[in-house]
Amino acid sequence: MSESLVKIENIRAYYKLKNREVKAVDNVSFEIMENEIIGVVGESGCGKSTLSNVLLNNIIKPLTIVGGRVLFKSNGEYVEISSLTREEVRERFWGKEMSLIPQSAMNALMPTIKLSKYVEHLAQSHGIPKNELLKKARKRFEDVDLDPQWLNRYPFELSGGMRQRAVIAIATLLNPQLLIADEPTSALDVVNQKVFLKILLEMKRQGIVKSIIFVTHDIATIRQIADRMLVMYAGKIMEISPVDKIVEKPLNPYTEGLLNSVLTPEPEIKKRGITTIPGTPPNLIEPPSGCRFHPRCPKAMSVCKEKEPKLVEIEPQRKVACFLYSEERA
Amino acid sequence: MFKNMFKPLFKSKKFIIGLSIVLFFILLGIFGPMIYRVDPTEMTWDMEQAPSSTHPLGTDTYGRDILAQLLYGIRSSLYVGFLAALISLVIGTIVGTFSAVRRGITDDLLMSFTNIVLTTPSILIAILIASYLDVRSIEMIAVILGLFQWPWFARAIRAQLMSVLSREYVYLSKMAGYGDFRLIVEDLIPTIATYAFMSFVLFINGGIMGEASLSLIGLGPTEGISLGTILQWSVMMDAIRRGLWWWFVPPGIAIVAVTASLLIISTAMDEVFNPKLREE
Amino acid sequence: MSRLVVKNLSKVFSIGFLARRNVEAVKNISFEVKEKEIISLVGESGSGKSTTAKMLLRLIHPTSGKIVFEGKDIWNDIKTNQELKEFRRNLHAVFQDPFASFNPFYPVERTMWQAFRLMDKEYSKNEALELIKDSLVKVGLDPKDILGKYPHQISGGQKQRIMIARCWLLKPKFIIADEPTSMIDASSRGGIIKLLLKLREEQGTSIMFITHDLGLAYYVSDRILVMKEGRIVEDGNPDDVVLNPQHEYTKILVGSIPKLYRKLEDI
Repeated sequence: MSESLVKIENIRAYYKLKNREVKAVDNVSFEIMENEIIGVVGESGCGKSTLSNVLLNNIIKPLTIVGGRVLFKSNGEYVEISSLTREEVRERFWGKEMSLIPQSAMNALMPTIKLSKYVEHLAQSHGIPKNELLKKARKRFEDVDLDPQWLNRYPFELSGGMRQRAVIAIATLLNPQLLIADEPTSALDVVNQKVFLKILLEMKRQGIVKSIIFVTHDIATIRQIADRMLVMYAGKIMEISPVDKIVEKPLNPYTEGLLNSVLTPEPEIKKRGITTIPGTPPNLIEPPSGCRFHPRCPKAMSVCKEKEPKLVEIEPQRKVACFLYSEERA
Repeated sequence: MFKNMFKPLFKSKKFIIGLSIVLFFILLGIFGPMIYRVDPTEMTWDMEQAPSSTHPLGTDTYGRDILAQLLYGIRSSLYVGFLAALISLVIGTIVGTFSAVRRGITDDLLMSFTNIVLTTPSILIAILIASYLDVRSIEMIAVILGLFQWPWFARAIRAQLMSVLSREYVYLSKMAGYGDFRLIVEDLIPTIATYAFMSFVLFINGGIMGEASLSLIGLGPTEGISLGTILQWSVMMDAIRRGLWWWFVPPGIAIVAVTASLLIISTAMDEVFNPKLREE
Repeated sequence: MSRLVVKNLSKVFSIGFLARRNVEAVKNISFEVKEKEIISLVGESGSGKSTTAKMLLRLIHPTSGKIVFEGKDIWNDIKTNQELKEFRRNLHAVFQDPFASFNPFYPVERTMWQAFRLMDKEYSKNEALELIKDSLVKVGLDPKDILGKYPHQISGGQKQRIMIARCWLLKPKFIIADEPTSMIDASSRGGIIKLLLKLREEQGTSIMFITHDLGLAYYVSDRILVMKEGRIVEDGNPDDVVLNPQHEYTKILVGSIPKLYRKLEDI
């Protein structure tokens, strides 16, 4: 059994606005193991992107960490990165220990700065000779099927798919342990999506990156690449289990609802039909009492309104937050 | 509908402050000369007098009352501003709308023309035209200024309309059997109205400043009094070196106050209408 | 009988001033849609599917080819205002972006009031309001939550339902649904699809989905057309297209889409 690379303990990250708080991530705990790909799914506004910012300690106001901690294993020791400042984490961890691939490469790359400049900048900030890293970048570009010549070009000259590949090549130059991919494929067409997923898996196979956390709204993509799936709803974890098991038998009614709204071109889907989760996600300023999903849940009981279900392990490796599976339901 | 559009404006402090100052000057320009009934052109023997009870803001070299000049000056400067703004707005709207709706060759030709006017240093052309005219009425100055400040507005209107025309609600209105006229009135005008209103404010500003600049170099209106001509006379008579502050300070303050508050109004409108700039 | 016949339809856009360049968006496509049939036009952005939709809706003029709806060539046989009104009522659309489908300056029910312009019968204001309320209820909305609201005050899913409510008022014979679910959350997507299917069941409406989502097309359609670079490269029933694609492009497309119940072998 491998060890955990990151431990997230009771993290609460709120957006503090003038006279209200948006509880984007509310008391969330889980671990990212070494050598695993973990997929985070949820609808827009469920806090999944905030979660990736918390992992990076990319905390920019109004986002504030209100409680809990994030431990990151670096050189065999767990460092509490949530107690460091954003600058300290950026210097010590970003690029080297963890890297981000954002939704749109255009957000990450200034269109008017040459790609090689990013590599040089990376070298400079980690005290590595520029030429050495540029050489490595050329090699890495070949690995992701890009002509190394592109390093001397500007991002706007590349197509969307190529740009996203350039980002992953540069982001993994220093072999970070953890790669955080925040909706990396949603701006790409399906053919480029697949190419991108292939590269991602290849990087892990070669040991360039150890673990990947893949944030998306697309369950089918997670199904293809992830080992475990983490389902978020309204700032809470609803379920975290191995992907195969979730697809086979979702436990939390929300997970079930999400799975049943997936449309992929498969005969099973046609047979199964498509269902809708009634209502809309709650606002996170005043989330519902008890289980946050109870107003939309088809299986809601009276206890769901009053108490908040804990995330408990009900089968080996399967954790779910739902009173259907806990003894407290009486 | 327009009520709903402009309501949020009145929640903005900036807008209220700017509007109050401008309104104050507008009222001053309209009613000032009616209440303070002194002929601003009448020459008296009280020459270059400091403010006193007979001349609240003193007199100039020819014994003319500065307060009376100031009140008339505010009136005509605002008049030049509005007139120039109106001209620019009309030309800009027509050119921009035609370009966006007609596309093709019409668009190409109109935009080339717009770009030519846009890149021509307008104040130079204005100077050139003004210097050819021996007699320049206030209206003439307004027309000269109005003819040169529309191009950026035409381009902006064109860009906005182009984007609106490919928006789905326009298709839906067309599919509900809207003719061109109804489409323009109901869907297109409201979309550009806020922007036009904002630009109008900036155009007034440009008109007032333009008039003052032309006047300062002696190419302002030859008839009538404006804030610019008062300043021009004071400069000609060396008022600044000779310390005749009551002559040049009041018109200076008036110009700065009006143009600054117009700018504040347009920034406030931008913040309200453009959600990206909203402070939240 | 075919409700819609499209024959050798092409559209060429010319851009640029001095050096005019021609872009062929749609190249000589032909297909037919039967009564009550659901057909999907699948393609990526730039495949010409949206241009095709706009030509069918009589919003842009085709360069060549014929579009015959209910026996009438929509560009040549519609001459009077009355005929145009009838056409607009019978062939209607639901668009992709619920946010762009509403003019932000008006309350959301404006789009439903507009529908009355296309009707033959005159309605009093109260009658019309009752009809509007009825159709809102039909699409699962509470009129109280909707009437008088402005677009930014309601959710994307609600907006898309209002668009379908407009179709309930008009009872068109043919609906073009241009990516009707691509901008709303997965959990409310099913509801929108069901509403469109219900419309077909109750009104016999033919529906054409314009989409990049082969999963959606597979689920809802009786027939799928795959478009690439302005051409229709595959035309068949959903099971054939998805399980046994013929054209190289369709094969790649089907092979690239992540599935839920089986893993892609080659990643």
